[in-house]
Amino acid sequence: MAARIGDWLDQRFGWRSVWQAVFLRKIPKVNWWYTLGSATLFVAINQGVTGILLTTYYVPTPDHAYESIQYITTQVPAGWLIRGLHHWGASAMVMLTVLHMLRVIVAGAYKFPREMTWFTGVLLLIVVLGFGFTGYLLPWDQKAYWATTVGTRIAGVTPFIGDWILKIMRGGEGLSAVTLARFFGTHVWILPLTLILLLGTHLYLIVRIGISSVPKKGE
Amino acid sequence: MSSDEVVIDRRKFLSLATWAIGVLIGAGMGIPAIAFIIGPALQSEEEQVWIRLGSVSKVALGVPTLFKTTIERKTGWIVNEEQRSVYVLTEDGRDFVAMSNVCTHLGCRVRWIEDREEFFCPCHNGVFDKQGSVVDGPPPRPLDRYEVKVEDDLLYILGG
Repeated sequence: MAARIGDWLDQRFGWRSVWQAVFLRKIPKVNWWYTLGSATLFVAINQGVTGILLTTYYVPTPDHAYESIQYITTQVPAGWLIRGLHHWGASAMVMLTVLHMLRVIVAGAYKFPREMTWFTGVLLLIVVLGFGFTGYLLPWDQKAYWATTVGTRIAGVTPFIGDWILKIMRGGEGLSAVTLARFFGTHVWILPLTLILLLGTHLYLIVRIGISSVPKKGE
Repeated sequence: MSSDEVVIDRRKFLSLATWAIGVLIGAGMGIPAIAFIIGPALQSEEEQVWIRLGSVSKVALGVPTLFKTTIERKTGWIVNEEQRSVYVLTEDGRDFVAMSNVCTHLGCRVRWIEDREEFFCPCHNGVFDKQGSVVDGPPPRPLDRYEVKVEDDLLYILGG
């Protein structure tokens, strides 16, 4: 019965060939270093799920941000776990992304025909760092406040346009409710959408071209 | 190996193991996620406390008297002051009935109409008598009552 329903659906969706192409494709014999991309993807999904959950309680305003996060951590069932997964996942995300990039460099996997996979990957690294930077402010505690003060000031020393950049990042001269709101908006809308577009392209290219094999001496 | 034994080769085993780990991770994320979302429904109701209304001498004999008081209510991480209005009725100055001014129909506020000797709710013309029983209109039950106590000539009601 289940097989018949599966067949009926497959005649309409054709999902088996998609499944075949994505998950059952042939890959060269590689080592564990080649799993770092998948590990990054896994943590990215974790960040997406826990992040969406956190927005159901978090309030991005100076008078509520800190207390709403305290409420999540101490009062909401499994709140400590969801927040903890998001918090530690953020660090894991940056580390895994960098390790994945190092493997690609060492294996020379960025060469023809995989240049576009590499370029989208570089942009994805910037997006991941952007997530880290904007997410760090959201708890609105002392560490968050001063880290963002320093971080935006660093961007502000850019020659000629530094002052302009600083004001755009902060939404004014100093850190305020405007800063928190735009960091939140960037963190939950702009960056996720950018990530989905880039990651979609990145994964499409991996499936289409296939992964590179481990290089041999003299190649 | 007997013929009815199920043969699991390496490929099949790894495939099953992958699925099993996937299901475990899914449950490990999914169950806390559901608890996280439905949390507000799992929390126990706020406990009731005695709220002071005022002096017993303010209650007129045989006429529902309005008392207004504020109580602190905690919703999430925010503490709000909330107005509570209570009608207190006594026929003999010793036994007191405290009634909520919230209409049992859809939650509008009722008020005592002196010359008609009834509570009236302006939203859908609900009418209650002096004791809070329904006289007319859509309310499904009498006005809610609070438990009352008197201490040192002060009136208290039990509420949350």
